[in-house]
Amino acid sequence: MTLLSESPSPSAIAQAADAPVLAVEGLHVAYGSTAALHGVSLDVRAGETVALIGANGAGKSTILRAISGLLKARSGTIVWNGKAIANLPADRIVAAGIAHCPEERHVWPNMTVQENIALGAYLCRSREEVQRRIGMAFHRFPRLRERSRQMAGTLSGGEQQMLAIARALMSEPRLLMLDEPSLGLSPKMADEVFDVVRSVNGHGVTVLLVEQNIHNALGVASRAYVVKTGRITASRPSAELRGDPDLLRAYLGG
Amino acid sequence: MTLERNILLAFLAGAALLPFAVTDQYILHLAIMALFYAVLASSLNLVVGYVGEFSLGHTAFLGTGAYTAALLSTQAGMPMWVTIPLAGLVSAVFGFAIGAITLRLQGPYFVIVTLSFAEVLRIVANNWIAVTNGPMGLAGVGQNLFGDVAVTDKAGFFLIVLGIAAVALYFSYRFVYSNAGRAAVAVRENRYVAQSIGVDPFGTAMQAFVLGAFLAGLAGGFYAHYISFVGPEVFRFAFMATMIIMVLLGGKGTLIGPLAGAVIVTVLEEYLREVQELRLTLFGLIVMAIVLFLPNGLMGFIALRREQQAAKPTLNAAKERTV
Repeated sequence: MTLLSESPSPSAIAQAADAPVLAVEGLHVAYGSTAALHGVSLDVRAGETVALIGANGAGKSTILRAISGLLKARSGTIVWNGKAIANLPADRIVAAGIAHCPEERHVWPNMTVQENIALGAYLCRSREEVQRRIGMAFHRFPRLRERSRQMAGTLSGGEQQMLAIARALMSEPRLLMLDEPSLGLSPKMADEVFDVVRSVNGHGVTVLLVEQNIHNALGVASRAYVVKTGRITASRPSAELRGDPDLLRAYLGG
Repeated sequence: MTLERNILLAFLAGAALLPFAVTDQYILHLAIMALFYAVLASSLNLVVGYVGEFSLGHTAFLGTGAYTAALLSTQAGMPMWVTIPLAGLVSAVFGFAIGAITLRLQGPYFVIVTLSFAEVLRIVANNWIAVTNGPMGLAGVGQNLFGDVAVTDKAGFFLIVLGIAAVALYFSYRFVYSNAGRAAVAVRENRYVAQSIGVDPFGTAMQAFVLGAFLAGLAGGFYAHYISFVGPEVFRFAFMATMIIMVLLGGKGTLIGPLAGAVIVTVLEEYLREVQELRLTLFGLIVMAIVLFLPNGLMGFIALRREQQAAKPTLNAAKERTV
């Protein structure tokens, strides 16, 4: 009897796995007096890859920026691992395990690849630990190791995107948020980037992805939220959306 | 990194020998002013080159330091080894207070508000006659280093300002190659990405700003004792203009740049004394030329040449391979 009460029941485990690790509720964000998000609610469960899809200017990137603390929320709650994180400073959110890889693959062009990667572990104060993570990053992205002493600005677009992802992973996040990782990349390069996203997810990192290319997004994500003019208009498993072009068109208004 | 450090060490070592080789008081005075400006330019460079915002109010810290040292000396008779560090500390406190307000602003707003802080302090110095003696200034600032040991010649002052310059360069070096320094560069280059890796832009900017204020305060404290007079002019824009030219000419965002700029401009200023009326005009032209042709200053130019030199052999190697 005592044994039973000590070990969690199977249903409790299932519930824990099912409980969202990130829950956004009624999120309102405005740029100045222009409202950008009108009450967005979404949740992401541990180990999932979730995509936000929708037209340009729908508010997808704004959602990511609000979660990572780069934008202030007017109202609404963001709960991460049971803790409210809305309007915390960005560095506290990174420390809590959420990494944001911003769009347009911003790297520091006048720093070397290695310096870019090392800065990703900015909040980590142990030198050995940073070295270990750099080793892991180069193991994961062998091409970056070849170019480690090169200025990041001299890399190709795809390599810069890899570098931006490698840098975001240096904080060892449990949630990786990617903003338009395939933007401006050749289809082949985009495939490579999404292979990386899959493998990162395979190592247990939860992924929240913003992507304009719907086929890429649905190929890597298990679920997708459709974002339209600052609102979530639908939430469906990827397979369902992929199998029904009419449904997609209706949601995206394309 | 090591090259930069070695050049700085060589410069300081070479400078330390100067008073033994040169006895000409006029040249020693020039050397003292060059080092004084080197400290000021280095401190301004921490803000302009590493926070990435243009401060026009850096004289606030120079003046605060100068008045602190002058008051401690004339009112309490304290020697230099006490007044100069205290001048730095008081300026650092002012830096913290002013930074807490101005570092929330960016671009032109930052420029204007920092400028107005310096102007407010100038007006206070001009009108708070009970403490600052108003436009008459504080005269007769003591020149004793410890207790009754007074510095009587230029060589002595040179060694003191050299010591302050060494402290300034050491602190700047430690800051630039620290985590905070790298974070500051990350913010300067791309604020948004820096935040996304967990850098707190306000906090890192504050560190650079307070350190800059501290060093400018040390320079101000030294200035008070060396000239032995402090008036509201220390807050004037003339000092600011000189500092800006030095940082821009030498190359902002480098450690050697402000040093080189300070030496060059101090010497140039003396030569241009002959054409007193045209001095500011010529400086205006120099600044325009720098902005147009050497946007990263002399150090930026040298770095570019080195890169081109380094790129050449690989180009040749590539050619050989194709042949």
